[in-house]
Amino acid sequence: MQGGIKIPSPRGAFRVWQRNLTIFKKYWKSIMFPNFVEPLLYLGALGLGLGTFIRQGGINGQDYVAFIAPGLLASNAMFAASFESTFDTFVKLRFDKVYDAIITTPVNAEDVVAGEYLWAGTRSALYGTAFLVVLVALGLVSSPWAVLVPPALLLIGIMFSVMGTLFTSLIHQIDYFSYYFTLVITPLFLVSGIFFPVDDFPAPVPQVAWFTPLYHAVNVCRALASGPSPVVLVDVAWILVFTAVLALVPIQIMRRRLVS
Amino acid sequence: MGAETRRKSRGRTGGSTLSGRGLRKSYGDFEAVKGVDFEVYAGECFGFLGPNGAGKTSTMKMIYAAAVPTGGELSVVGLDVIRHDREVKRRIGVVPQENNLDEGLKVRENLLVYGRYFDLPRKLVLQRADELLDFVQLTEKAEAKVESLSGGMKRRLLIARALVNDPDLVVLDEPTTGLDPQARHLVWDKLRELAREGKTLILTTHYMEEAARLCDRLVIMEGGDIIARGSPGELVREHVSPQVLEFRSDPASLTALRPILEEAADSVEEGGSVEALLAFTRDADAIMERVRESGIKVENIVHRGSGLEDVFMRLTGRRLAD
Repeated sequence: MQGGIKIPSPRGAFRVWQRNLTIFKKYWKSIMFPNFVEPLLYLGALGLGLGTFIRQGGINGQDYVAFIAPGLLASNAMFAASFESTFDTFVKLRFDKVYDAIITTPVNAEDVVAGEYLWAGTRSALYGTAFLVVLVALGLVSSPWAVLVPPALLLIGIMFSVMGTLFTSLIHQIDYFSYYFTLVITPLFLVSGIFFPVDDFPAPVPQVAWFTPLYHAVNVCRALASGPSPVVLVDVAWILVFTAVLALVPIQIMRRRLVS
Repeated sequence: MGAETRRKSRGRTGGSTLSGRGLRKSYGDFEAVKGVDFEVYAGECFGFLGPNGAGKTSTMKMIYAAAVPTGGELSVVGLDVIRHDREVKRRIGVVPQENNLDEGLKVRENLLVYGRYFDLPRKLVLQRADELLDFVQLTEKAEAKVESLSGGMKRRLLIARALVNDPDLVVLDEPTTGLDPQARHLVWDKLRELAREGKTLILTTHYMEEAARLCDRLVIMEGGDIIARGSPGELVREHVSPQVLEFRSDPASLTALRPILEEAADSVEEGGSVEALLAFTRDADAIMERVRESGIKVENIVHRGSGLEDVFMRLTGRRLAD
């Protein structure tokens, strides 16, 4: 009787997004600070610290710190969306029962999940834009194409929100998130070409990387930071297809958890 | 029988607001609701009564589309719930059993954000939020954090929230469970006011007194079935004699007393967890006379009118609110 695949209504999703924005506006300073500082720590420690040892024109003719900066934009979006779609979503689902309240209104369970995707993407774009401003001020990003970074981060955030929500929809205990971060997010962070170019490694490393989401997100950010080549459209297409294919899965599972 | 007359007159003008036919809900192998029929008319207060696990909450959840029926038909505000879930939810208000106020928002903000889910114009929601806070006596708490509210205040805020969209039908799942007597009376007052305004109320409860005070008609559920239905007065008249004598004493005395009561009373029952016998009768004096004649020692005798609790005992053999 559950009846078919549920497609979210944009109006309902917008209402859920709006609810999160209302709460964010109250607490944004305290929420944003850690997410904002973290990439700066990586930039300082690795970019300047490790970068000192990477002489001879850095990587592909770039300073090491300028090489990793756009990659950190992508990983920052990944972390922001991943926390939002795991811990935050789980708390709203299980402890605060926020979703149970929402779905007694014309907003349906499928809208709730879609609204959370959009919100996670928005949060990623907000944090990333703040970080981008710092990078521009430091002279690490100079291409005018960088104005497309915020929409790119929105998309990247939505992609990681879909992945995080999929995991959240399957677990019943909050402790399991450490598996997700240790076995999925951290490895992606380390091997997606943020800190060293993956493409120069022998097979199958580049081939494996091609199938992972953060690799393409890093490519997109790096291309926009330094002026893109048309090849970046492949990465954008990869992200769009991956997100679109996966997005409906957590929606159906979450709906079954909310509507018995 | 004011309630019954009111129901009949309303029934004619308002028509059916809620109807379930052969409504079933299973969770895996467990049948929570086993094919129930009910009909609620516009403007009445209708109760689903029963112990925990009777299937009340499952039925409520199906009504507000948080559970999908396994079988049968369910129409709410004249619409099929499964096919028109959004439209049904637009026109009803829900007070859930479990508090799910938005803790990240202040008291008034809870109403404003909730109003947005219904796409209500901002001006209208602002005005309605103030009226509703006044109605549930929370105006002074408008800017307070939800977590600072007492249990009774939270429940009142849940009621206010359920009214933001000016619903035709309000579904209340155990609206007073866990509240102290004062808070409970305040909630009852508010629900009676809503009933007077002509809202259709559906409530579940395991408090007899609540059902007797508020409901025009009710059904008693047990184990997923409806085992009785009617107005509180009808149910009492139909199932038990008007007066009850409760005899409390040691087991030996009660054993001796039993045949005497069985002969003199309309019916005799054991009184739940305490050592007691209940004698149902139309003539309490006659029974008292017989007991005195017998010379059996009785520690305590209570004479009272019969009520819904007795109906429930009669039908299920156990107390309701345990």
